Amino acid sequence: MLAVSGAAFGAGFGLFEQGAKATAMGGAFAATADDPSAIFYNVAGLAQQRHTTFMAGGTGINFSNEFSGDPNDAFTSGATGRYRAHTFIPPNTYFIMPIGSNITVGVGVFTPFGLRTNWEDPWIGRFVSRDANIKTISVEPALAWQTSDGRFAFGVGAEYRRARVVLSRNSTLPPGTVNVNPFSARFIDVASAYLSSDWDHAWGWNAGVLFKPASDWRIGASYRAPMDIDFTGNVTITQISTGNAQLDALIKPGLPPSQPVTTTINFPSIANIGIATTAIPKWDLEFDVVHTGWSRFKSLTVNFLTTPAAGFTRPQNWDDSNSYRFGANRTVNANWDVRFGLLYDRTPQPTENVSPLLPDSDREGASFGFGWHNGPWMIDATEFALHFKKRGTQGISSPDTNFNGTYRTDANLVSLNLGYRF
Amino acid sequence: MTRIGSFARITAVVLAIVVIAVPSFAATGSANFKTVVAIGDSYGAGFESNSLNEHHSVFSWPAIVAHQLGIPLCTLGSSATDNCFAQPIVSFPGIGPELQLMDISTYPPVIVNAAGQGVPLNTTFGRPFNNVSIPGANVADTFTVTGTDKPVTRGVQQLAQFILRGPVTEVDAVVAQKPTFILVWIGGNDFLGSATNGTTAGLTPLATFTTAYNTLLDKLVATGAGVVVGTLPTNPGAVPFFNTVPTVLINPATRTPVLGPTGQPITLIGQVDGTPPVGQLLPGSFITLGASSLLAQGFGIPSALKPILDPTNKLPAFGTPLPDAVILTPAETATLKARIADYNTAIVASASAHNVPVADIKGLFDRFATGLNVGPFHLTSDFITGGIFSLDGVHLSDIGYTLFANEYIKAINTGYGTHVPLASVATFMQNNDPSTKMASGAAAFPGMMWVLSDEASKSLMQMFSLTTPPPARRRASH
Repeated sequence: MLAVSGAAFGAGFGLFEQGAKATAMGGAFAATADDPSAIFYNVAGLAQQRHTTFMAGGTGINFSNEFSGDPNDAFTSGATGRYRAHTFIPPNTYFIMPIGSNITVGVGVFTPFGLRTNWEDPWIGRFVSRDANIKTISVEPALAWQTSDGRFAFGVGAEYRRARVVLSRNSTLPPGTVNVNPFSARFIDVASAYLSSDWDHAWGWNAGVLFKPASDWRIGASYRAPMDIDFTGNVTITQISTGNAQLDALIKPGLPPSQPVTTTINFPSIANIGIATTAIPKWDLEFDVVHTGWSRFKSLTVNFLTTPAAGFTRPQNWDDSNSYRFGANRTVNANWDVRFGLLYDRTPQPTENVSPLLPDSDREGASFGFGWHNGPWMIDATEFALHFKKRGTQGISSPDTNFNGTYRTDANLVSLNLGYRF
Repeated sequence: MTRIGSFARITAVVLAIVVIAVPSFAATGSANFKTVVAIGDSYGAGFESNSLNEHHSVFSWPAIVAHQLGIPLCTLGSSATDNCFAQPIVSFPGIGPELQLMDISTYPPVIVNAAGQGVPLNTTFGRPFNNVSIPGANVADTFTVTGTDKPVTRGVQQLAQFILRGPVTEVDAVVAQKPTFILVWIGGNDFLGSATNGTTAGLTPLATFTTAYNTLLDKLVATGAGVVVGTLPTNPGAVPFFNTVPTVLINPATRTPVLGPTGQPITLIGQVDGTPPVGQLLPGSFITLGASSLLAQGFGIPSALKPILDPTNKLPAFGTPLPDAVILTPAETATLKARIADYNTAIVASASAHNVPVADIKGLFDRFATGLNVGPFHLTSDFITGGIFSLDGVHLSDIGYTLFANEYIKAINTGYGTHVPLASVATFMQNNDPSTKMASGAAAFPGMMWVLSDEASKSLMQMFSLTTPPPARRRASH
């Protein structure tokens, strides 16, 4: 169950869908934070929840995408590609329990980051990336305290994050040897490289505040610290036959052996601030800005430990990015709520580093959901459509990939959570 | 697999791709691509590895441009009324049997003629070919050489018989088709024959060239069709025929220079600029691929080294200077470059006067000389391994013609405001990766692993007798 993966859904490879209600409100939840997913969205929100509650669920993510080559590029012109079909289901589970009248403690399991770009064969971008998979799973004990009048709350959490990286690509002949199969004058694949890390981990922290300046206004803010996870793993290099024994024999000595590798992923900080109001009867409206510190993601470097020269660095040079999120919850009756949300999420990725490894873009999302609660039971369900704006390399793909083209992506997410209030 | 089976399969795949994989988005801008024709020479014909044959003529640069314009290639099954791009189709192994690489474990690599001889297959096609490029044609030939010249004294006249198929010139043949767009690359044979023979004699005089080029464009522009032309490469160093054989003696075993008694590489002897006209080759000299067989006999090695390198007299020509015909001296090279530069000036001026865009083929060859990256691939002008040139060292490979065609597409897009997509060299991925192969059904172009008959292996290419290991190898490897 923990071996989950997700595609990139919170700009870059962040996953901001950690609860069906919050997702229905476009992720604008820092100032609401009134279900156990507050452990992710704003830990201070736990304090206002005065019942022992268990909540679990997940988000099913499907997407369609299309790569089309740059008509002005002598390699990618006319080429197309798409991801292999996958349904990703990042799970979430939370348990919270009030202690006394001012404190609530809890523990959450969620998947704050994830990436899968697995290109369907035949894929001419396989020399850049055939499959990339970053999986994370976090466990976070948290504690929140509020003033007795409930106007101010403060919370902290300690996040234990485990992650794993898998990268797969093919290699062609390195410059300076032979450029083509000289017998056929055709370009060839000479080897595949499959890099698989262990599950490695790091600890991080987060904190949040929730303030209710008036009976119908709330302000929330949360900060989740950056983390670096150092990975150890192995790369398996497999020679691919060219069909010619002489050529294969010539190539073989030039291939690095399978060997241990190390790499590091610099996960960003996430800061969100939101303001919410219930000034309109039966409506709860919230607007949030989420700032993700992606400028830490400068490069993806893989160190080969046996033959260091075979290691590589893929520059990323991301920038910090903001997303803007609006959500609404309309109380229909004692048992039903309906919700919708809108979001605009700016990509942190510079144009030149858009690549098959991770073709990111600005996103526009619209969500719709409902909540049903009856006695101790709660069900939240959400449909969320996410459109990635068309993104192209504009002919300036960085030299390390030199892969120009345009990516079109759409995603559909269905979130479901079941809760029980003791 | 038999050669016939392989051939049939390749042909079927080529035909299928030609029919199916036509870009549907060739934007036309201000140009009209209804009837596209081509005038040219061996490059235009898709001549490769000393051969004109159907494996490669489908990748002639005009055929690639036509493909990108959305025009399918005519096949043997096409009729005269089909809207397709017709070219001569010559059966494999072609006219001039195709050179084939047999062995790269030896030095020099073993290159042989494919066995047999190809024949033209579509001589009765019911209209002029769209592409009437004739190997060997120079600028003036495009409007003087006909398909019925008598007597036939030049190769270009012989080939014209089945390419032009009547008493017409290249220009006549394309004008008769009421073309809407004319692709032109011509002029290489105004200097190539001289260069490959290590001389500047025989270069077309500039005035003759200029007049001929203007005459050609006068005739073509008068049709009202769009026209695009291209410049000529000026740098012998960009071409394997000239850049492969080093001016110093090489040890075939180590593929590094043999060091003389003083510890210095041994510079070969041959034609120099000066008096006496023979001596150690000057820096900047080019030795042609034609010298390969001579080096194997001891030509070019200073006689003073005989006691060390050939004490048992196994090299009959030891100490004999390389003949002029295989050497471009620095002075000859300078003359050649200057003349071609003048041709280019004339081409650009003529094009400008006729309001015709010019493809930067000179610039392309300059990039060949330095090496260039296309997607994940690096390409160079190295012989055999570089990817750009075919095994004759002068003509391009399928990949090279694709890059050549792209220069024309860029010129068309710039000159006519069109948005024709470039052709992709990804067409020439062998796709030997098992999962790719499986997903593709079949590789787009299966690796042509040549099936060699005994006869073929014995049939050494006449142009460069590369199959004889140079005797110097035995000495030098001691």
